[in-house]
Amino acid sequence: MTKSIGVQNDEKNTNDVSNTKSEKSMQSIIDDFVLKTEHVYKTFDSAAGKVIALEDINFKVKRGQFVSIMGPSGSGKSTLLNILGALDRPSSGKVIINGYDIFSLADSEIATMRNRLIGYIFQSYNLVNRSTVEINVKLPAIIAGMSTSEANSRAKKILEELGIADKAKQKPSNLSGGQQQRVAIARCLINNPAIIMADEPTGNLDTKTGQDIFDMLKLLSHKFGRTILMVTHNPELAQLTDRTVLIKDGRIENDIMN
Amino acid sequence: MNPKDIFLLAFEALVDRKVRTVLTILMVVLGSSLVVILNGLSAGQAAFLEQQFNTLAANVLFVGSGQRSFSSFATSTSNSLIINNVVLAKIKSLPNVSDAIPEYTGSVQMNVEGNTQRASITSIDPSKLVVELPNLQYVDGSTIKPGDRSSAIVGDTIVNPPGASTPFLTLGETIKATATYSDSSGSHTVVKNFVITGILKPSGNAGIDRSVIINLDAGNELLHKLNRYDQIIVAATTPDDVDTVQGELTSTFGKTLGATTPKALMAVRVQAASGNNAFILMVGIIALVVGAVGIVTTLYNSVTERIREIGTMKAIGAQNTEILALFIVEAALIGIIGASLGTIIGIVGGYILSIFTTTSPAGGGPPIHIPPIFVPMDLIKVWLLSLFLSVLAGMYPAWKASKLSPMVALRRE
Repeated sequence: MTKSIGVQNDEKNTNDVSNTKSEKSMQSIIDDFVLKTEHVYKTFDSAAGKVIALEDINFKVKRGQFVSIMGPSGSGKSTLLNILGALDRPSSGKVIINGYDIFSLADSEIATMRNRLIGYIFQSYNLVNRSTVEINVKLPAIIAGMSTSEANSRAKKILEELGIADKAKQKPSNLSGGQQQRVAIARCLINNPAIIMADEPTGNLDTKTGQDIFDMLKLLSHKFGRTILMVTHNPELAQLTDRTVLIKDGRIENDIMN
Repeated sequence: MNPKDIFLLAFEALVDRKVRTVLTILMVVLGSSLVVILNGLSAGQAAFLEQQFNTLAANVLFVGSGQRSFSSFATSTSNSLIINNVVLAKIKSLPNVSDAIPEYTGSVQMNVEGNTQRASITSIDPSKLVVELPNLQYVDGSTIKPGDRSSAIVGDTIVNPPGASTPFLTLGETIKATATYSDSSGSHTVVKNFVITGILKPSGNAGIDRSVIINLDAGNELLHKLNRYDQIIVAATTPDDVDTVQGELTSTFGKTLGATTPKALMAVRVQAASGNNAFILMVGIIALVVGAVGIVTTLYNSVTERIREIGTMKAIGAQNTEILALFIVEAALIGIIGASLGTIIGIVGGYILSIFTTTSPAGGGPPIHIPPIFVPMDLIKVWLLSLFLSVLAGMYPAWKASKLSPMVALRRE
């Protein structure tokens, strides 16, 4: 694997959003922490009354850190990942990614943030099965408005790095689960995001393939300085990350450096 | 996302669901081709009508017994006057009337060397034909013999029936005309031979082009008219005098005689045609709307099926407007392909349909083929209307897709 996957200060880095129209509304708090949450709450109204899904979540993630989030079902870890990934707004509190208070922005600007700052890896890969692997990988770049030649070149390089360049013209449905997850990883890397959100990325894979995918994420973090937040049910994998945040009943119960 | 990428992604989505896409396009094709066909046939019919009346002189009136029906030359029998030489003389004496030309009309079976054809008979002083049809021209070698009871002039369609490779008859040939009439003593047949002394060049007037024109006396005898004219063509001194002459005729003969002008006939026919056009256009537009409903169904299903994909697209940064654009472009592509194919099929179908919808003239003779007319601006309007309805139909599903919360969409199985 060459250094290109881990490039953080690429001149063409698409996570540089300083020239967007949202610039004025963004709070720039550049420091060593790529992600910070401040008093994040999430409540839902239900027939049974108000349900507190997340309560006063405060934590910081350093640049290049590989953080696992664990907790029992219904503890709020997926809700947390959705909020950290800007897919859902918190009821109150702040989420700051790469210096940007993302929820102070309009929905369209949050979408831009998702495109430029955040890379997603889903448990069930979430690939577009009618499109080729290459197009799937290029989708975030296409959305970012990247030139075709630049997107092609990046996609080619990443697919080579991940060992699936020969699958570029195939449809995802013709690939194995492990290969599909590699495609999803390639897709999340194309825009060189500030942080990668992985929601149980090994959950649909057998042990060996799951381990391969985890090793790949670990390599991205340790060798290429990628910041990764991974929700997992697997304590063995969690132990192999830099840090494990335990969520219970919507609160951070424990925050362990491994 | 740039427009080219939106187009490619939308196209890919349509190709992925080939059968459904083809069926939806088919709905638009049916709607737009129907509108194109109906428009073309209506325009053809309107042009045909206009051509018929444009061949007539502007200063003539058609006078028949009884109240003239505007929709046809049929006359009512009640309170009607028998048009004979007395009436003719009276009309000729009216102010601003330059001429009054009597005519008998009917139909006969023609036989030329064993070949038969039905034809209309116009029995008139042939030298006066130009009064009614000023642009009338004869083929070389034709001679007009007003006083010759055995000579006949024939229209172009009689000589060259549509689809025939050889002329039905030529100058100098003899035709045997057989007419039948009934009276109190029963049904009778009259047979007369005529020599073709003149052939008309195509006049554009279907009535005259399909007629055999014979001498007035010969017509009286062949058609057994007993000196009762069917119609008198009244020529006013100038076109401006037509209304005055019509007024004079009404004040002189009351409702026992009816007079109408080509202009009035044209106006009524055009009005009737435009009413028909509006109706058939409505049918076409309803077909298009049905096509649009098909698009709504297709795209709505598509949104439901692709809800996770929409969630993923949003998770990786697609804007609401981009999701909206993707689905609208899908609808637009269906509209563009459907409208384009519909236009082509409509043009081809219009010509084919016009062949099958030829009408047989009342007096007999070869069927009248009215070719459709496709006005480029009309085709563009139908194309744009199909596209507009397709895009409009795509709006709701597209809007629904664009408004989906990424989190909700991702959770959907």
